[in-house]
Amino acid sequence: MKRSDLANSVAERIIGEGLPLLFVFLWWLTARSLPSFILPGPIETGATLLQLFIDPAFVGDTLISLARVVASVILAVILGGALAALARYVPSTAYAVQRRVLPVLNSFPSVGWAILATFWFRPDSGSVIFVETLILIPFCAIALMQGIADMDRELLEMGASFSRSGIKIAWKIALPMLLPYVMSSVRIAYGVGWKIALVSELFGVDHGLGYLMLRAEVIGNTAMVFASCFAIVIIFVAGEKLIIDPLARRFAVH
Amino acid sequence: MIRDDLERRRRRTANIFTLAMLAVWFVVGWIEPPYLLPGPGNVAERLWGFVIDPHMWVHAGASLLHVIAAVAGSIVIGGALALLAYYLPVFRLAVHGRLSPFLNSFSGTGWVLLAVLWFGLGGFTVVFSLAMVLIPFAIINVRQGLESIDPELIEMGRSFGRSGFKRFRLIILPALTPFLFSTVRICFGVSWKALLTAELFGGDKGFGRLFNLARQDYDTPLVVTVIVIIVAAVYASDRYLFEPAQARLSAHYEAL
Repeated sequence: MKRSDLANSVAERIIGEGLPLLFVFLWWLTARSLPSFILPGPIETGATLLQLFIDPAFVGDTLISLARVVASVILAVILGGALAALARYVPSTAYAVQRRVLPVLNSFPSVGWAILATFWFRPDSGSVIFVETLILIPFCAIALMQGIADMDRELLEMGASFSRSGIKIAWKIALPMLLPYVMSSVRIAYGVGWKIALVSELFGVDHGLGYLMLRAEVIGNTAMVFASCFAIVIIFVAGEKLIIDPLARRFAVH
Repeated sequence: MIRDDLERRRRRTANIFTLAMLAVWFVVGWIEPPYLLPGPGNVAERLWGFVIDPHMWVHAGASLLHVIAAVAGSIVIGGALALLAYYLPVFRLAVHGRLSPFLNSFSGTGWVLLAVLWFGLGGFTVVFSLAMVLIPFAIINVRQGLESIDPELIEMGRSFGRSGFKRFRLIILPALTPFLFSTVRICFGVSWKALLTAELFGGDKGFGRLFNLARQDYDTPLVVTVIVIIVAAVYASDRYLFEPAQARLSAHYEAL
C-alpha cells in the first residue's frame, strides 16, 4: 500500500469513527442548555435505553415487539411465497397477483391498516401481527417471485426424470434453489418489519415499544422516545448480524 | 397463438378477481354496519363528496405539497452527502458506513414524535419527518449512480482540460440523471406511505389530519375513502407517469 493511500485510509477511519463521537458530543453540549422534554442528554437516554433491556417493567414491551415482528415475518414469507407460487404454477392467475393484489397491498398506507384493524379487531398482538403481515406480504412475494423465476429448469427436469415424487423434487431440488431468495425476503421483511412495528402498535394495544413511545410522547418523556428508537436500531442490527447473516451464508448458493 | 391465449386468460382472471373482490366487499359492507366496513357505494358517495368539497382539496393539496417538499429536500441533502463521499473519499465511511445505515434503521414514527416535540404541529414537522425517512434512499441511489459512471469517461474529461464544475455539469450530472429519476420515483412511493403517520401525529392539514379526525369520530367511510385516494394516486402516478417517463429516459440514454 502506498503511503498516501494509507494516510487516506487512516483519515477515512478517523472521520468515520469520529462522526458518531462528534454527534454524541454535540448532542451532550446542546442538551445541557435545553430542558429534558425537548432534548434529553445522551447519558439520560442511555440509562433509559438500558432499562428497556434489563428492567422487568419494560423488557416485556421490548420482547413482545420482537415476537410480533418475528411472527409477522414468518407469516409474510409463507403467504408471500404462496402468492408467488400461485402466480407461477397457475399461470392464468399471474396478472391477478401481479397487477391487482400486489400493487394494492404495496400502495396501501400502513397506518390505514393500523386504523382499520382497531375498528375490526380487539386491539392485541393478533391485530398488530395482522397489520404487520399485510404490510410485509408484497415485499416477500416480489422477492420469492424472482426466486421462482430464476430456478434452474433443467435441474428440475433432471429431478423429474429420476423421481416421480413431487414432494421429493420440491424438498431436495426446488427448496435449496429457493432458499437464498427466502433469506433475502426474510432480510427485507425483518428490516421493514421493524420500521412499521411502531405504527402498528400505536393504536389501542397496551404493550410494545410503539405503545411505550406514544405514551412517552404524550407525557413529554423524550428520553423514552429516543430510547425506543435506539432499541429498535440495536435489535434490528443484532438480529441481522447474529441470525440473518449466518443463515444467509449457510443457505447461499455455492 | 398459445401465448395470446394465455395472455387473454390472464387478463380475464385478473378482471374476474377484481369483480369478485368488489362483490365480496359489497356483500360484507351490506351485512356489516358502515363503521366496520362501508360498502363500495357508500365509499363512492363519500369520494364524490370529497371531490366537490373545496375544503377537502385544501387537505389534498397540503399532502401533495408535503410530499413534494420532502422528496426535493431529501434528494438535495442525500445527493449532497453522496457527492461529498464521492469527491472526498475520506468521508465514505462516515456517510455510507455510519450515517446512512443509522438513518435507514431509525424508525419513521420516532422521527414524527420527536419532530412534534421539537417543532410542534405543522407543515415543517411533517416535511422534516418525511425527509428523514427518505434521505437514506437518496444517499443509496445517488451512490449507486456515481459508482456506475465509467471512470474512463471522467479521465477523458480531465485530459480534455475540463474544470471540476464543468466535468460535473457535462459528465457526472447527465450520467446521474436516470438514477436521480429512479430516486424521485422510489421516494415518491415511500413518502405517500409514511405521509399519513407524519400528518396524523404532526400535521395540521392533509390526509393524515383527516384520518385522525375520522378515527376519533369512527368515520370509517372517510378512512376508506382516503385510503382509496392514496392507493389510486400512488398506483396511477407510478403506472402512468413514472413508468413511461423512466422508459423514455432509458431509451434516450441507450440511444446515446
